[in-house]
Amino acid sequence: MSKGLLTTTVGSFPKPDYLARARNQFSLGKIGHEELAALERQATAEVIRLQEEIGLDILVDGEMERGDMVAFFAELLSESMAIGGLVRSYGNRYYRKPIITGKLHWQGPMTVEMWRYAQGLTDKPVKGMLTGPYTMVEWSFDEYYDSRREAVLDMARLLREEVKGLVEAGAKYVQVDEPAIHTRPEEDFDLAVEAMALVVEGIDCEFHTHICYGEVGLIYPDMLRLPVKQIHLAFKNTDFEYLKLLEKHPFDKDKDLGVGVVDAHNHVAESVDEVKEGIRETLKLMPPERVWIEPDCGLKTRTWEEAAAKLRVMVQGVREVRRELGIDG
Amino acid sequence: MLTTVVGSYPKIPNRPRPARLRAAIARLERGEIGQDELRQVEDEVTIEVIQEQVEAGIDIANDGQIRWEDDQTYLACRMGGFTIDGLIRYFDTNTYYRQPVVRGAVQWREPITAEDYRFAAAHSPRPVKALVTGPYTLAALSANEHYGSFGELVLALARELRQEVLALEKAGAPIIQVNEPAILKQKEDFPLFRQALEQMMEGVAAEAHLCTWFGDIEGLFPQILELPFSAIGLDFVMGPANYEVIRRASFTKKLGLGIVDARNTKLETVEQIVERIRRVSDVVPLGSLYVNPSSRLEYLPRETAQAKLVRMVEGVRRAQEVLA
Repeated sequence: MSKGLLTTTVGSFPKPDYLARARNQFSLGKIGHEELAALERQATAEVIRLQEEIGLDILVDGEMERGDMVAFFAELLSESMAIGGLVRSYGNRYYRKPIITGKLHWQGPMTVEMWRYAQGLTDKPVKGMLTGPYTMVEWSFDEYYDSRREAVLDMARLLREEVKGLVEAGAKYVQVDEPAIHTRPEEDFDLAVEAMALVVEGIDCEFHTHICYGEVGLIYPDMLRLPVKQIHLAFKNTDFEYLKLLEKHPFDKDKDLGVGVVDAHNHVAESVDEVKEGIRETLKLMPPERVWIEPDCGLKTRTWEEAAAKLRVMVQGVREVRRELGIDG
Repeated sequence: MLTTVVGSYPKIPNRPRPARLRAAIARLERGEIGQDELRQVEDEVTIEVIQEQVEAGIDIANDGQIRWEDDQTYLACRMGGFTIDGLIRYFDTNTYYRQPVVRGAVQWREPITAEDYRFAAAHSPRPVKALVTGPYTLAALSANEHYGSFGELVLALARELRQEVLALEKAGAPIIQVNEPAILKQKEDFPLFRQALEQMMEGVAAEAHLCTWFGDIEGLFPQILELPFSAIGLDFVMGPANYEVIRRASFTKKLGLGIVDARNTKLETVEQIVERIRRVSDVVPLGSLYVNPSSRLEYLPRETAQAKLVRMVEGVRRAQEVLA
C-alpha cells in the first residue's frame, strides 16, 4: 500500500434502482425480507466491485441495507427505541424521528453480518461504519432518560459492543460518524468526547470519525480531543475554508486528516485539476502520510453514475499528485 | 387561564392520513401544479390544523404557519433588501432554514400575513392570534452585508416590520405575537432590543405578546416587563430557571406559560401540568396566564402535537379546579 494520500469514502453509496424499488415494495408488504436481503447483497457486491475497479484503498459496504443513518440502528434497537412519525427537517424534507423508549442496550450485532459479507468479496480492507452516540441521541426523541448525558453514555456503551463485534470479525478500520456533534458545542462537547472514548478506547482498531459541514469552526481545535486516529471534514463544500482553521491552530500531529475533495451534494463531477488543487492546498499544512482523500459526505443522494464519476476523478487526482510527489501508488 | 399555541403546527399528518401539503409542494416543484393550486391546499390544511386545535380545546388558535417555510424566509423573501442563501441550523435543533442575506436597505412593501390572518379568522370558531418574527431575531438569524452595524439592521427591520404589525391590526387581529427567541442568546443587546421593540410597537392598540423560547430570561428580568407588550411568553422547559427568575420582582404582565415540551414526544401527565401551573400561581394570578407549549409544535409528529394540546387542556382544566 502507498505511503500517503490513502483514499476511502464516507460510507454510503447510492442504491441501485432495483434495490430502491425493492425497499419500497418491502415497506408496502409486497415482498418478504429474504427477497430484499438477497438484493441488498447483490447491490453490496456491486458497490465492492465499483470501488475495486476505481481503485480506492479502503472500501466500505455501501450501506445498502440502511435508509436513514439513525433510524437504521433505532429499528434494530427495538427493545429500547421506536420509529416515530414524520418531522420536517427543512423545506419539504421530512424524516421519521426515532424515540428512545427504554434503557438503551445492545441486542446483538447490527452491522457485522453485512461487513463480513462485504469483506469476503475483496482483499482490500473494508471499513466498519457506525453512527456515533451523540448523533444517535441528538437526532432522536428521548422519552426514557432524565438527561441527555445518561442517554448518550448508554448509547456509547451499546455501540462499543457493536465495535467489538466488528473487530472480532476482523475489521481493521471503524468509522464512528458524529454529524450532530456541533449542535451545542459549549454545552455538550465534553460529553461527545467522553462518549466517543467509551465507544473506542482500548479496542485494537483504527478509528475514524466524520463531522458533517455546519458550525465546524465552533469545535476546532476542540475536536482534536476526540480519541480517534482520523477526523474527516467536508472541505470541498466550503471551498477549503477549513484550512484557515488549521493555519491558526495546527492539526494534532498524532492524528490523520480526512479531506473531502468532491462535493457529495451536487450533480456535477469536479475536474481532476480541482481535486489536485484541493490536495496541494492541504499538503501545504499536512504531510501526505497523514492525509486521507475522500468525498465530502456519504454518496447516497447521488445517482450511481454521479457517484462513480466523482470517485474516478478523485482517485485520478490522487494518482497524479502521488506521482508528482514520488509517493508509491 | 386561557390556552394557546406559540408557533408553527406540523404540516403533514402520518399514515394513513395523506400528506397533502408535502405532495402538493413536490408537484409544484415538478411544475405539475401552479401557485394557485398550492394555495388551495394550504388553505385546506390551514383549516384542518385550526380544527385540530379547536378540537383539543385551545382557546386562542393560530393558523399553524402552514404557508411559512420557516420563521425567517416567509417574511424576508417578501420584503425588499433580502436574498435567501443556503441552509443553516435553527438554534440547537435538527431543523434547518435558508439564511436570509441582507444585500440592500430592508423594505416592507405590502402586507405579508394580513390575508393569512383574515383567512384563518374566517375559518376559526375561536379567536386567532397573528404572529411576526421580531426585528432582533430576524436580524440575528440573517447575514448582514449591507448595514454598517447589526444595530442599524435591527432598527431598520423594526421600522419596516412595524408596517406589518399595523397591517395585522387593521385586519382585525385581536392579539399580535412578536417572536424574539434570539435575544436569549445575546442578552447584552437588551438596550438595542428595547429601542427596536419600542419603535415597532408604538401606538399599536391590539394586544401584543412578546414570545421567547429555548432559554431563560435570567439577566433580562425585570427590565423585560418595561417593554410595550401586555404578555411575555417564556419557555419553562428549556429555561427552567424562569420559575425562579420571575419571582424576583412583581410580574406586572400576563405570562405566556410554556410548560408542555414542544421538542419531545413524551407526553406530560395532567399532574405535571397542574404542578407547573402551581409553581407560578403565587407570582402570576391564574387569570393572567396563557398556557401554551414551550415553542412551536412543528418539532413533533402531527399526532403527537395534537395529543400534547389535548393533554395541556386537560391539565389546565384540572388546575382550574384545584388551584382556583
